[in-house]
Amino acid sequence: MGMRIEADVTRGNAITIIVDGEALPAFAGETVATAMLAAGRQVFRADTGGKPRGLYCNMGTCSECLVTIVASGRRVRACLTEAVDGMEIATRG
Amino acid sequence: MDPGLRRGSDGEREPDGVTHKSDVLVIGGGLIGCATAWRLARAGAQVTLLEAGDINAGASGQNAGSLHFQIERRFIENGEALAEQAARIVALNRLAITDWRGLEAELGADLHVSMAGGLMVAETPEQVAMLEAKVRRESAEGLASRLIDGDQARAVAPCLAPQILAACHLPDEGHADPRAVTPAFAAAARAEGADIRTRTAVQAIRREAGAFHVGTADAAFRADRVLIACGAWTAHVAALANLHMPLYPVALLMNATERTAPVLPQLIQHVGRRLSMKQAYAGNILIGGGWPSRLAQKADGGFDLGAKASIIQASLAGNLRAAIDTVPMVERLNLIRSWTGVTAISADQLPIVGEVPRMPGLFVAGGGSAFTLGPTFARLLARAMGGERVAELDLLSPARFEHLNSFMG
Repeated sequence: MGMRIEADVTRGNAITIIVDGEALPAFAGETVATAMLAAGRQVFRADTGGKPRGLYCNMGTCSECLVTIVASGRRVRACLTEAVDGMEIATRG
Repeated sequence: MDPGLRRGSDGEREPDGVTHKSDVLVIGGGLIGCATAWRLARAGAQVTLLEAGDINAGASGQNAGSLHFQIERRFIENGEALAEQAARIVALNRLAITDWRGLEAELGADLHVSMAGGLMVAETPEQVAMLEAKVRRESAEGLASRLIDGDQARAVAPCLAPQILAACHLPDEGHADPRAVTPAFAAAARAEGADIRTRTAVQAIRREAGAFHVGTADAAFRADRVLIACGAWTAHVAALANLHMPLYPVALLMNATERTAPVLPQLIQHVGRRLSMKQAYAGNILIGGGWPSRLAQKADGGFDLGAKASIIQASLAGNLRAAIDTVPMVERLNLIRSWTGVTAISADQLPIVGEVPRMPGLFVAGGGSAFTLGPTFARLLARAMGGERVAELDLLSPARFEHLNSFMG
């Protein structure tokens, strides 16, 4: 989607997170949801029928953006979770 | 749609315009109203149903979907006399077990009915004694509940906490989907020819020459019999008929976790703490059990049933604590929703279902437990409204509050 503003912005350090095995560029201070959207990933989970679901409220209320932190197995809201360098995320399970 | 084309509106003209005639008029598009409309329409009656809001918008759709057939905790916690009286409702619970087992086939709809059993657990010796007394009452009423120890309970439901000392197990309990049940009844009623109108609030109920005249903002209805099944609004609507109905609104709390793998096929309740837990078909664990929410109030006094009830933080914390203590694995799950719903309880805690003696032809149904017992109430009401004497409803008859209507009607 290429939605990042590129001119006249100051960002945190460049970092990388891994979503479903794919390395995504991000900047320190961004949320997991931001990094995923910036990389064109709109699918955050699947419903019981296997249909894709995506971020809806982006403020922690709807829980549509629940993803799994692979290391801990914890399910978290991508819109409230800060991206950390090397963090591994799964959109299934 | 031209009102003149509707079934049941074939003609009687009155000075104020067309009067829609039917055999039965049901007020309230919740579980009981829609199910009774279906039963009566299927039996050949002309049925009109008027709903002030939308179908299934009240407690019928907001409850947590428990199918609980053991004697409820709320009946046990208020002393022996009430517990003894409440034990008599077990006869209706047994009918409800049969009704729920056949409902999906009868309606031809997937209601996510699961009857994999239920456990009411105890954590202390005092609570175990409560379960023992409860099982004695239930056995006397012919219910197949049995007391098992903690290890046996964990063999049935391995997710139960180690400190659970005992449980009362009833193989017939379970849960169903409140978002599916009432719409299925409404669709079935329509298919049988019932005229169901939403966004149609009743503003007047008058009994004249043996018939009921019911008015809305822009239409008039006439029916031989009327059923008021409006949940928390029942007392308000009964007042339109100049009757007192001792049903009081209560606001409750329900919660849902995120989906998880199948871990809990049973319904879990607690004899000493307010708790109900079940895993819905989609994998979410629903947590409720009668924790209070706060009803909205009107500026000039009284409760505002049109406004949402608000969540009480202490209820939320207490409910989730009881859930974690009973089924520890839920601590790892995200809570994704908490919501409030408003039901009604009666002056003596038993539901009120049946004909009002003061006003022959007027029937009322409400007062809690009406998800579990709703389909049974509806089946029995349809028979009673068809003119049959239905002894099963004697226990719940509005006749026990007739003194309140000595000067009314």
